[in-house]
Amino acid sequence: MNLYTRMIVVLTVVGLISGGCLSVVGLLTRERIELNRQKEIEEAIGKVVPGTKSYSAAVEEKDLTVYKAKGEQDNLIGYAIYARGTGFQDVITLMFGTDPNLDKINSLTILEQKETPGLGAKITDGQAFLQFWENREINQGLTLRKPAVDTKEELAPSEVNTITGATISSQKVLDIINLSLEQVRSLKNRGKLEGEE
Amino acid sequence: MPAKSIGQEYMKGLWAENPVFRQLLGMCPTLAVTNAVINGIAMGLATSFVLILSSLVVASIKKLIPNQVRIASYIVIIATFVTIADRFMAAFFPPISKALGPYVPLIVVNCIILGRQEAFASKNSVGRSLVDAMGMSTGFILALLLLSSIRELLGAGTFLGYQVLGEWFKPWIIMILPAGAFITLGILLGLALLIEMKTQMRRA
Repeated sequence: MNLYTRMIVVLTVVGLISGGCLSVVGLLTRERIELNRQKEIEEAIGKVVPGTKSYSAAVEEKDLTVYKAKGEQDNLIGYAIYARGTGFQDVITLMFGTDPNLDKINSLTILEQKETPGLGAKITDGQAFLQFWENREINQGLTLRKPAVDTKEELAPSEVNTITGATISSQKVLDIINLSLEQVRSLKNRGKLEGEE
Repeated sequence: MPAKSIGQEYMKGLWAENPVFRQLLGMCPTLAVTNAVINGIAMGLATSFVLILSSLVVASIKKLIPNQVRIASYIVIIATFVTIADRFMAAFFPPISKALGPYVPLIVVNCIILGRQEAFASKNSVGRSLVDAMGMSTGFILALLLLSSIRELLGAGTFLGYQVLGEWFKPWIIMILPAGAFITLGILLGLALLIEMKTQMRRA
């Protein structure tokens, strides 16, 4: 075998063997990875719409998924909204829960973020950030309270708190939520949330 | 150069040829993921897995690979093991996989791995390559462990997530930011050089 044929044969064989190994590994782990993702979403829905017994996706778009959360009697108890958007450094993925009329946010949870550790990354901290998102009124649109306050009582019902030193991260979270709320409202008005089980 | 014993072959990775402190290889993961001890350990283990298995494969098929396509073949072999490690972590350790983010796929271009294939596995027996890869892996894990312990302790007051330093301690946020990585690595490299110089002086 001359050198050129040998080079081609060796590279092809190496490529084929590694491709084969990878497809086996891919098949073996795919199910498990999908399961992990589902579990994460399930846990998040249970957190943002307490009392959820079952759920179904009503709308699935690129950066927005609306889940209908149902209670004991299969009645609609709220929407869990999964949204993605740009943060200060990278994409923030979050989920928040609303009541069925879209009047109020129950609570918020952050699924994925790469904000600055120690500053922007506080958006995942209950004490520093998430607690100020509980029971917010969303009819007039949410606004950011700046400078930050220490207790929830000082906030108006439609205000959320800023993280000192991480205004942009706080603002970005708010932007993602306001934008997705707008989309969800327009979907609801067009009756898109009712169909599709 | 006289042949090294198997023990020496292993030990050289720990200090004399430590990939991080002496060869300055694999700086990207060293700086990027050592903000918490658990991330450092996970990155160290994933890299070791890739390094040991690629060294084994490369050392066993080195005679079949024509010199002209050796780098391409090594990269394909390394990339295969990296992808296996990445999928495995995503399937069984999702939180760690998330924390390490893009740095697991980036093991492909970690110079320690390609460097060992080129400098050692392609020229030595399977047994020696295995020992060499294990030594280098241990050296890399120890370096990441040291760096991440310092950074987590000073940056968050914790070790492996457990509060170690008391309430009085105000975390130095800079230590978990990229700047803290450079500062810590710089100080450690300086110390390593100092120790090396002291031992050489004593020998002389």
